[in-house]
Amino acid sequence: MMIERQSLELALPGASIGAAAGAMAGGLVLFAGQPIGMAALSALALALPLALFGGVYGLLLGQGVFRPGTFGPTGLFWMAAFPLSRLVQDSLFGTGLTEGVLPFLGYQAMVGLGFAIGFVWLHERLMPHWLVRRAPDNPRAEAVLGIYLQYAHALRARKGGRR
Amino acid sequence: MDTSNTPPATATPPVEDDRVWKAGRLDPMPIRKLPDAPPSVHIVGPTVFLVALGVGIGESYMWPRLVLLFGPEIRWLFLIGVTLQAVVMLEMARYAMATGESIFSGAARVFKPLMWFFFIVAIAVYIWPGHLSAGAAAFEQITGIPWIITAIAGLVLVGVVFSLAKVIYNLLENVLSLLIGALVLGTAVIAAMVGSWGDVADTITGMFAIGYLPSEALSAAWFPVIVGACAFAGPSGMQQMWYTLHLRDSGAGMGAHIPKVRGLRHAGEEEEMPARGFMFDTDDPAEMAKWKGWRRWVTFDALLLFWGVTMLVTISFTVIAQSAARLNPGVQTALQQDDREAALGAMSDAVSSAGSSVLGAVFLGFIALIGLNATLGLFDSFSRGQADMTYNFVPGAKKIGMSRLYGIFLWAVIIFGILILLFGPADGPNEILDTLAFLSTFAMGAYCVTLLLVNNRMLPKPIRPRWWSNVIIGFGAVFYLGLLFYCLFAYGVAIG
Repeated sequence: MMIERQSLELALPGASIGAAAGAMAGGLVLFAGQPIGMAALSALALALPLALFGGVYGLLLGQGVFRPGTFGPTGLFWMAAFPLSRLVQDSLFGTGLTEGVLPFLGYQAMVGLGFAIGFVWLHERLMPHWLVRRAPDNPRAEAVLGIYLQYAHALRARKGGRR
Repeated sequence: MDTSNTPPATATPPVEDDRVWKAGRLDPMPIRKLPDAPPSVHIVGPTVFLVALGVGIGESYMWPRLVLLFGPEIRWLFLIGVTLQAVVMLEMARYAMATGESIFSGAARVFKPLMWFFFIVAIAVYIWPGHLSAGAAAFEQITGIPWIITAIAGLVLVGVVFSLAKVIYNLLENVLSLLIGALVLGTAVIAAMVGSWGDVADTITGMFAIGYLPSEALSAAWFPVIVGACAFAGPSGMQQMWYTLHLRDSGAGMGAHIPKVRGLRHAGEEEEMPARGFMFDTDDPAEMAKWKGWRRWVTFDALLLFWGVTMLVTISFTVIAQSAARLNPGVQTALQQDDREAALGAMSDAVSSAGSSVLGAVFLGFIALIGLNATLGLFDSFSRGQADMTYNFVPGAKKIGMSRLYGIFLWAVIIFGILILLFGPADGPNEILDTLAFLSTFAMGAYCVTLLLVNNRMLPKPIRPRWWSNVIIGFGAVFYLGLLFYCLFAYGVAIG
């Protein structure tokens, strides 16, 4: 139980970013004349899967599958995760896949790559702060923080060697 | 990454090395150790500034406009422009990382008047607060607050924030990073909602229609607009030159040996800024291995962050514009009439009618966000660049100190900006508008030539650019200057 909680804490920054991006989309999927309740559901239908995948990213980072700040694997991850999230949303509350499923997924995968850049970018900003807060009580957070600290030490070493 | 707690450089005993690298007529550069490159390919870097500055009006308005008017095939010019800028970025970084000096100092090493030319162009082009208006006008459409109030409040805010910041670079990097992160995520989500495979396939195949120029584009009305858009593909004007200052301040490469610029309130704590940069031992294989690490790091930044984000934002905005034009033919008319605010408004309306009023507001919100990014970045970079040149090359300026000079330039441009917003033409006097547009593009051609001279003459042989890189930068000089002068002689106008 304790271990699960510790892992879930690692998932929080990624999940928040995913949820926020989904919420940003909140208003966007409203189609003219649709009631607000429907729009909120539609936003939720995107925010939830994005938050879920964002959280999974954090968990995998904790497992060492992803290395902090590297882009390649994260890009591939979102190329799959983003289209799936959009598919969930569109099949529940969308206008139907007028283009067909494959062109839809292809297009969303491309956008997913862009989404990944923004995601890693923000994750790299938020995760270290969160880890510093959680490390005293959470050995898993402490371990991931260790990886970030290695990087920070390398940076500090070169700044310290000025002149 | 906050490094403000880093012990002052004087606390560590300097490792002295008597050897120097002589470059040009200025003081020779002492040989020092090159620091280790970041251990992994890491998405934290000064490129964030270039992206913040670069993703602006060209990406959100000029190119979507050209695509709607001339079809997606026109985008081959954009591909060339942005790719060229990525190579320029790598070459700017080469000098800055190898010496810890800005490209302005490099120019002064080649020929001092060259540097003063850039000093004057920067003042002529960047003191006008016109670039604020698009963002502030978008904000007005969302909130109803008159744009002039937002613009002035924004200016004062920028001044206060940068004056209070302990170490400016860290603050700016954090703020811009969050803004850009939000922008990239938001743009991706919007594009995912409104676009389709068809739109993006058009946009991408259009990028490879090399040589396409419809006959109506070759007219006095449109050719200058195309030249302007080419200059605005990615960072325009002097933004790439300022990037070298950000590299130095972020401690990239030999920049690690140079202290940081501080906010006015903390200017007293400033460490003394050396009058020249440093060089590493290029005959030492260990040092060269570290250099390769730095080059990998900056190449990653150039390709993924700079090229990738710029492409993503432009493709997304183009896709949005295409779907807007399908829904509302008014967009096309507004674009043809070159009414930027009306066109952005029409695009927002079209987006609204496809989705909801919230969607339109979000679209305008992004335009406002882009404006804010550009303002933060431009004012800071301008002041940084002018302070750097003044500090190093105006006699007696060293007594004032780099941070105070930075503050002086920052507040001067802010106060001038407010006065102009209240009493004058925001873009600059009408009579010299053409000249300013000309100078801005001319500076881009001029920095390509400067780069060739600086990197091939001021750097030790082992770290000079490869031939193909020189060819591309040379092409850049011909591209910018050629388009500019062709436009001037064939149509009698600078750029649109």
